[in-house]
Amino acid sequence: MRSLPLRIDLAGVAASVLAVALVTGAVFALRPLAPVLSLGVLYVFAVLPAAAGWGLAYALVVSLVSLLIFNFFFLPPVHTLALSDPENWVALTVYLVTAVVVSELAARSRRRAAEVEQQRREFAFAADVSGLLLECRFVQDRLRPIGARLAEVLGVPRAHIEIGSLRRPEPAERAYDLAVADRHLGRLFLSSHAAPDPAVTGRVLQTLSSLLASATERERLAHAALVAEGLRQSDEIKTAVLRTLSHDLRSPLTAIGAASEVLDGGAESLTQAERAELVTTVRLQTRRLTRLVSNLLDLSRLEAGAARPRPELWTVDGLLAGALEAIGPDAERISVVLPAESPTLHVDSAQIERVLVNLLENALKVSSPTDVVEISTEAGPLELVLKIADHGPGLERGELERIFEPFERGGLSPGAGTGLGLAIARGFVRANGGRIWAESRPGRGATFALALPVARSRAPERGARPETREPPPGRDRVATDPAR
Amino acid sequence: MSGTRILVVDDELQIVRALQMKLKSEGYEVETAGSAAEALAAAAARPPAAIILDVLLPDGHGTEVCRELRQWLSAPILVLSAVGDENEKIAALDAGADDYVTKPFSVDELLARLRAALRRTSPSREAVLEIGALRVDLERRLVMMDGRPVSLTPTEYDLLRLLARNEGKLLTHPAILREVWGPAYREESNYLHVYVSQLRRKLEPDPARPRYLLTVASVGYRLVDPLAAS
Repeated sequence: MRSLPLRIDLAGVAASVLAVALVTGAVFALRPLAPVLSLGVLYVFAVLPAAAGWGLAYALVVSLVSLLIFNFFFLPPVHTLALSDPENWVALTVYLVTAVVVSELAARSRRRAAEVEQQRREFAFAADVSGLLLECRFVQDRLRPIGARLAEVLGVPRAHIEIGSLRRPEPAERAYDLAVADRHLGRLFLSSHAAPDPAVTGRVLQTLSSLLASATERERLAHAALVAEGLRQSDEIKTAVLRTLSHDLRSPLTAIGAASEVLDGGAESLTQAERAELVTTVRLQTRRLTRLVSNLLDLSRLEAGAARPRPELWTVDGLLAGALEAIGPDAERISVVLPAESPTLHVDSAQIERVLVNLLENALKVSSPTDVVEISTEAGPLELVLKIADHGPGLERGELERIFEPFERGGLSPGAGTGLGLAIARGFVRANGGRIWAESRPGRGATFALALPVARSRAPERGARPETREPPPGRDRVATDPAR
Repeated sequence: MSGTRILVVDDELQIVRALQMKLKSEGYEVETAGSAAEALAAAAARPPAAIILDVLLPDGHGTEVCRELRQWLSAPILVLSAVGDENEKIAALDAGADDYVTKPFSVDELLARLRAALRRTSPSREAVLEIGALRVDLERRLVMMDGRPVSLTPTEYDLLRLLARNEGKLLTHPAILREVWGPAYREESNYLHVYVSQLRRKLEPDPARPRYLLTVASVGYRLVDPLAAS
């Protein structure tokens, strides 16, 4: 139907003029061989191509022009548009009707062909779009290629699809709603200059809408399943954390409660040594509980983003000295190799010392009492890498990342620790702009590595504002400042 | 009490030591184990009179140890747990534990539970059970409270008899339902709650503050002698 409204097509006009001229020439040439009246039928050869190529309107115009020319050149009185013989009137009328009928038949088959072609294009479009949508995970990712195919099938320069959009079209745009039943899916935007056939647009948009509807529904369901799975997993983690926490809090409380109750109730039946042992139990378990509580508080501060570091310039020597002092007598089992020249680090000393204490205590815990824990350092231009190597059982490959998760004990028995130390270490290291990771030599021990950024500015020489300082002696570096 | 051997199983050495001292001062003989394997070995070598067993052991779960021991050992098992999870309590009791104590516990209460458990191991074949002011005459199906006869429906009587025969023992909901109502009623805890409150109305001096028929939240019930418990 697109050909009916008469659009001036230069190619069509040129071809028609040429065809009419050729036929006129042929009639002129054949005039000696046949009666001129019967040669008029040759004009059908000019009308047919016009009808087939450009439609009925062209064909009618060409027919009329052909008749006028035939009359003008060949029918007496020649070189006028008048007709002298009534016989010629009949002939001309027959030619005109024949031309119109033939034109109409040709235009009809042409329209049929165009319709079939358009249908084929629409089917191909539907197939392409469903292919694009079927194999994609996110509908959003496929809107661009679908838009390109849509522009092609609508015969417009550009088509832009927005899912879930209710945006008003801009001045140069025209918007079409994409909807299925009552469900709004989004909008299609075309350039306002483009004038696609409304019937085609209607059909294509309907196909596109139902394909998009099923694809977005599929995506929504997949997303919902993913969320549900995530919730289930996070529930499992929460349950595991609560069980572990419950155990870790109740065990020292039980020991303290039992020891004090026994001390209180049966003092006369206990030996001096037994009393001393119970008192030690109360003291040690109180310390264990205190450490757990401060660990938990640190972790919640870290997770709440409240453990903001207060960095100052420190040397690795100073940080290590503080950590070793906090560890106490067990620090004898730690060997330290310091870098030849100690770079300056811009970190929160309390937090980094806490990290070192946690790592060192872990290393001491997994090593046998005769083993040495080794600290080595590698100073690079940008960061200082500090490694703590133990001779414990080492870690499985799968544990290297997981070990830093809260309440993860890496196969150690529940009594061995809270499973919080490494999570806190990771939190503090990251807060200070560093990295922490684990390496393992299975069966020969694990190495925990810590990379801290080297300060760009060196500590100023004497006379300038003093910023580098050694940790003050005797300061308790493990206890957490509650005000922080 | 002297010579009664108790096996204490826990991987928290300091808890084991405190319990050991207390039990010794009460005249018990004490053996200790720090893991599931040690516990099974110790119990097999010299079967104890009772076992105090931690649920979380470095080499296995106390519930499994319990199930294993129950194959050949009838001594009462008291389970200790630091997790305090109802499902775990029920699992341990189902596996054959006699009682369940959540950490942190009072040592005196643990000892009271231990004594009650040990008492049950020599079950009286007596026809009359006396629990505080409660008297249950099993032969004549008569129940007296403070000397006054109490009239019970057949189901109430069966429920009371089961609890009285297991004086002091924590009975789980499924266990009670199975015994009193039959195996098909395992899940019908509602029946049980209704009958327990009816029993309380007939037996307890103050049904809102029960002293005989005690509730162990989400797990079960226990019939105790209010005088012996304090």
